[in-house]
Amino acid sequence: MKWTAHCKLRMMTVPAELCLLACLTVGLTLGSGPNKDIAFTFLLPAGSTECFYQTAENNCSMHVEYQVIAGSGLDVGFSIISPGGYRLVSDFRRSDGLHMVHPTDDGDYRLCFDNSFSKLSEKMVFFEVIINNQNIAGGAQDEWADVARTESLDYKLEDIRASMDSVYQHLERSRQLQAMLRAFETRDRYLLEDNLWRVSFWSCLSMLVMLTVAVSQIYTLRRLFDGTKRVCT
Amino acid sequence: MGFRGVGVLLQCYLMLAAAMFFDLGEQEGKCIIEEIPEDTLVTGYFLLEPWDMKSVTSSPHLGVTVTVRDPNHEVLMTKRYGKFGKLTFTAHASGQHYLCFQSNSTRFSVFAREKLKLHLDVQMGEHTIGHSTAKTKDNMALLESSLRHLLEQMMYIIRQQEYQREKEEVFRQISEETNSKVLWWAVVQTSILLSVGFCQMKRLKDFFIAKKLV
Repeated sequence: MKWTAHCKLRMMTVPAELCLLACLTVGLTLGSGPNKDIAFTFLLPAGSTECFYQTAENNCSMHVEYQVIAGSGLDVGFSIISPGGYRLVSDFRRSDGLHMVHPTDDGDYRLCFDNSFSKLSEKMVFFEVIINNQNIAGGAQDEWADVARTESLDYKLEDIRASMDSVYQHLERSRQLQAMLRAFETRDRYLLEDNLWRVSFWSCLSMLVMLTVAVSQIYTLRRLFDGTKRVCT
Repeated sequence: MGFRGVGVLLQCYLMLAAAMFFDLGEQEGKCIIEEIPEDTLVTGYFLLEPWDMKSVTSSPHLGVTVTVRDPNHEVLMTKRYGKFGKLTFTAHASGQHYLCFQSNSTRFSVFAREKLKLHLDVQMGEHTIGHSTAKTKDNMALLESSLRHLLEQMMYIIRQQEYQREKEEVFRQISEETNSKVLWWAVVQTSILLSVGFCQMKRLKDFFIAKKLV
């Protein structure tokens, strides 16, 4: 667990209490470890493009995965545009993708999903962005070491901190994998429900067609003979 | 505003400043789909800003209407918020919930058809952000709070796993239903085909005999 502290702990005036509160909560919520993980599922209407923006800091790594869950064709176009305006990644009509941007620049990265090639079907897209703040880790370690040195149990605390860190990392990774698997399962379930509907529908239709054809065959034949009978006499 | 209030605001701001944002047109609505297991507390932090901060001359009254729908498309919650806020709801049924955001800013015809920026962060499960521990420099208290955080994370993962197991059961059920339907329809269609053929032959034979053609 790394407490990202942008202000020193030595200030003890009243605004500093506020600063301390903010910094620690920033650490626990924003950072809480060097990973930040955002996952969204959204509906992309037919023939349109949706863009999401993610702020990144200098020299971090950003990991983007996306997957199309529903929609005929199960494909979407994807692109990542850096804060400087360069197109880093450009996928054309893929059903899932995995991209890593390292090192990142300071600013807003633009992630765009493109469904303009499809006029009729809307797509449901799941995507996940994982940001690793590598440079903050170094600073926090020093802060923590400063505080720990004042205690007599500093070795044990360091140990506990290290193992808790690794547990946290593993749990984060489990959570991210779970999200991916969840998306796969949702996609397969939609596909299966579609299949069931299609099987029922086409079976009914073909049975109706068969019966109609059978009845009209008999009718046509009878009419044929009635007609010729009239002609003959 | 006491320190706690300012602290919460600052926490929201700082947290959302680096969160993901997307563009929202004036009076336009966008929806996010979240797969939530039942009896889970969901907290969402959002912040609405004008797209281009430099071109803001007057501060407009920005507002967001948040509508949450449950898996049956029934409205679970509808609430109007100001520029930023925290939305909380508990999912009673497990499935796909739709969180829709629509901007309902009071227009002074300055921001007509102007783009807005919506920062969003959705978290699931109860997160005890250690407000009380932040006041002390006690390392043990900090350790305790971080252990609690780890515990919550684990509970969340276990929860999701159980939910996944439930969904897998449903999946299996649909699979077996499809399989049995395919088999049943094939049998029915074959039998109908045979019986129709048989009936046709019989009727034609009777017809020709009646017409004295055979």
